[in-house]
Amino acid sequence: MASSIATSEYTGATRRRGPRALQGLPFVLPYLPLLIVFGIAPSIYALDLAFTNVGGGWVGFHNFVRTYNDFRFLSAFRHVLIYTCVWLGALIVFVVGLALLLHGRANRVSATFRFLFYMPGALAGSAAVLVWLFMLDPSVSPGAFFLHHVLGADIFAQSIAPGNLPFIFAMIAFWTGAGGWIVVMYGALNTIPHDLEEAARIDGAGPITIALRLKLPLIRKWIAYMVILSFATGTQLFVEPQVVQTASFGLVPDTWSANQLAYQLAFRYADFNGAAAIAVDLLMIGLVGAVLIVTRSGLFRTDD
Amino acid sequence: MARVEFDDVSKVFADGTRAVDRLDLQITDGEFMVLVGPSGCGKTTALRMVAGLEDISDGVVRIGERVVNDLTPKRRDIAMVFQSYALYPHLSVRDNIAFPLKIAKVSKDEIGRRVAEAARILDLEPYLKRKPRALSGGQRQRVAMGRAIVRQPAVFLMDEPLSNLDAKLRVQMRADIKKIQSKLGVTSIYVTHDQVEAMTMGDRVAVMRKGELQQVAPPQELYDRPVNLFVAGFIGSPAMNMLEARVERAGGGVAVVLGDARLELSDHPWLAPYDGQPVVLGIRPEDMEDAAIAGDDGSPRLRGRVELREALGADVLVHFAVAARSAVTEDVRELAEDVGDDRLRSEDAGTATLVGRFSPRTRVLEGDNVEVSVDRNALHFFDPQTGLAIRGS
Amino acid sequence: MRIRMVGLGVRLTILAAFAIFFIAPVLWLVLAPTKSDHALITSNPFAFGDFHNVALAWKHLDAFSSHIFRRWVGNTLFYAVSATAITLVAGVPAGYGLAIGRFPGRKLVLSLTLVVMIVPGAALVLPIFLELNAVHLIGSSLSVILPFSFFPFGVYLAYLYYATALPPSLLDAARVDGCGELQTFLRVALPLAKPIVALVFFFSFVADWNNFFLPYVVLADSNQYPITVGLWDLLSSTPSFNPAVGGGGQSVKIFKPELALATLIAVVPVAIVFLFSQRALVRGLVGGAVKE
Repeated sequence: MASSIATSEYTGATRRRGPRALQGLPFVLPYLPLLIVFGIAPSIYALDLAFTNVGGGWVGFHNFVRTYNDFRFLSAFRHVLIYTCVWLGALIVFVVGLALLLHGRANRVSATFRFLFYMPGALAGSAAVLVWLFMLDPSVSPGAFFLHHVLGADIFAQSIAPGNLPFIFAMIAFWTGAGGWIVVMYGALNTIPHDLEEAARIDGAGPITIALRLKLPLIRKWIAYMVILSFATGTQLFVEPQVVQTASFGLVPDTWSANQLAYQLAFRYADFNGAAAIAVDLLMIGLVGAVLIVTRSGLFRTDD
Repeated sequence: MARVEFDDVSKVFADGTRAVDRLDLQITDGEFMVLVGPSGCGKTTALRMVAGLEDISDGVVRIGERVVNDLTPKRRDIAMVFQSYALYPHLSVRDNIAFPLKIAKVSKDEIGRRVAEAARILDLEPYLKRKPRALSGGQRQRVAMGRAIVRQPAVFLMDEPLSNLDAKLRVQMRADIKKIQSKLGVTSIYVTHDQVEAMTMGDRVAVMRKGELQQVAPPQELYDRPVNLFVAGFIGSPAMNMLEARVERAGGGVAVVLGDARLELSDHPWLAPYDGQPVVLGIRPEDMEDAAIAGDDGSPRLRGRVELREALGADVLVHFAVAARSAVTEDVRELAEDVGDDRLRSEDAGTATLVGRFSPRTRVLEGDNVEVSVDRNALHFFDPQTGLAIRGS
Repeated sequence: MRIRMVGLGVRLTILAAFAIFFIAPVLWLVLAPTKSDHALITSNPFAFGDFHNVALAWKHLDAFSSHIFRRWVGNTLFYAVSATAITLVAGVPAGYGLAIGRFPGRKLVLSLTLVVMIVPGAALVLPIFLELNAVHLIGSSLSVILPFSFFPFGVYLAYLYYATALPPSLLDAARVDGCGELQTFLRVALPLAKPIVALVFFFSFVADWNNFFLPYVVLADSNQYPITVGLWDLLSSTPSFNPAVGGGGQSVKIFKPELALATLIAVVPVAIVFLFSQRALVRGLVGGAVKE
């Protein structure tokens, strides 16, 4: 038997300290400050501001009520809501439709199309809006025909008439964002085992039937994610209306979207509390979407 | 080179499961010890505790004279071969084998020497530049071994290294591994769920079940003198037949009654205390023979009807039904589940199907009645409550 | 058979129509700087003009506000590269630690990361501005770089990869072979995650390059603008869309071709990164998130 080395005393099953109790922590440490400072803290700070006044005193829901009563609030949220619905509708119909159309045989052709659809994603942000400013100007646009017949527009100012705006913004957002989602949907379709498709074909199903009754239901989960994520993103609209507003010689108000209103409150009126209230409104919408996805899915597992 | 010692070692997981329960096991220097048992018995957990890949909840593990409980794997002087080989996909075979030496900052020359040596022993010389994905299963397995032996560790740990290979290759590799280990003389702990592997490879075999060590002994002893029902049923293929029987005092000795058969045994006095009580009778297939071939040898006889005949060439396995009852205990059920047989035996409660390993000269066919001679010296008895073997000495 | 051909034809037509929708504006943009302002209005939108016009357009663009356009491009490169570097160094190990780790609070950090990742960044811009304002960082490059370098999606990608595609036995083998935790990461985990590193680089770089809202809010000095905000600045200075500007006595020669050229230049770096990552992107993104 051993030994001159003393046997350590171990207290039994509850002992968790070992060489491995903090495994992994050092790798996460550099990221934590970023998460806290730019993820958690702003949310908390926004909450704090939303419920206090300039002097720091607690005012309850006063800021929320006040901003709600602002004459621009309802129209801003209404614009954003219409925009989001149009955008979501386009996403659901066209993204899913295009993904289904692409998912068949002829892989090389399919890959080329996917790349073409995805290319505009490189222009996200103000560049995309600028491109579309040109597209909406009947004097230079290759789509002047459509502008004239669909929007009834012969000059730029008519293209960006207030009634058209939600659709235009939705189209821009679709133009940059659809490609990415098509890739995701396509990937989701690829997870469907080939056997299922073959079995359906043997059972006599034609391609349309297979697409609508087999593939579509199986990617329901992904469509739901797309909708939830896009809904939350849609309500945050800022770039498009801001850029168009600059190009519109004042035709488009600078508080068209909710985020723009928040921005104006902060920088034109120095009303940080009001701005925070609107930011919190939008944050809540985003959070609801986030929590919905995180809880309702096996996609984002938090345990391995 | 070192001995390994488990001193009252337990492992309890966060959810409360006791994967290893108070394991006491000493592995001598240079020994090839096999840990065997059904899935979930704790053998892999025990191995990983030696490796340092699992924390030890209780007890002490020693390698050599050192207590290694709090040492990280790299400080324990061990090498391990994983079931999935765990070869580094981004490194060539040569770099895979050299990897641990590089980490240990061994000199380049020494690395070259040792890698060449390992490659020679394992016939890997033509593959040194390849990446793992370009190798076959057997070749990958050898690379994994190469990576282990190149370190000249105190202990080899092997976690079911042959499970992913096809049958023929497995037989070949078993021999290779044993040869290498003999030659290098390194203490080895080998985990497997295959009792054939255990029996052919181990100097000693430790049978585990639900975290508890059942028996540790050289293979033949496990086979001849299993200490309980579980070990008896686990070791040996086809498995030992288990029947319900009653002991009766008869004449100067005892008789064992099973169904309509009555076996007179005069030299089993240790059964006497079980007079009038049920016992479990175990008979290995190889301890039975077609009575027509055994001849008139005075051995106890069983009568049954042949249900299935499997000709193996060297033997014939005959499945025959007798009017007796199969022993149904927790052990028996667990053994059946382990082989994937989770059917509820809905056959006639009054008949049991036995398997006998007969001489190839046997003439019995399916549907025939058969008389089976049983080797009275090879009967195993077990207490139905405790599962322990009832033995004289 | 006939029906199949017709079906195929219909499919292709629809796909082609959408392809035109997506590509035509890009094509127009590439061709626009080759034409003069007048030619843009009069000639075919897809006609090729003259390289001479491109050079002219560049001259005007460059002359704008004493070469500020070059600064904008430089700024954007600086912000995107710096932030992406930090993202990679902090985010990939974090994903690794979250995947293989066992420390208290792991699940919390992971959940928070997921939630914050899905919450659109725009919602946090104003609070971040106020935060940065409170610590007097407004006006420095850090006010852009630091928020940019917080990229939870990158952490999530790395986490997904390490949690699903890296066999734990590989890490065990490394530990048994003598590696400490850091060495295990550097020698085994990281080399195997090359496609993921490339993916995170791609997404982070593109997101940083294209970000408008945050720099718009936190930067007051137009010399610090990234190209996205610069384009907006350019827009508000051009008579093309804003006639009020032209007559202000400035010799600002920013018209449609110049704007188009500016937009094109703003897009080129990302387009290049796109082209090179396309294969890795589709395979990696889809393979990682949607187990093939």
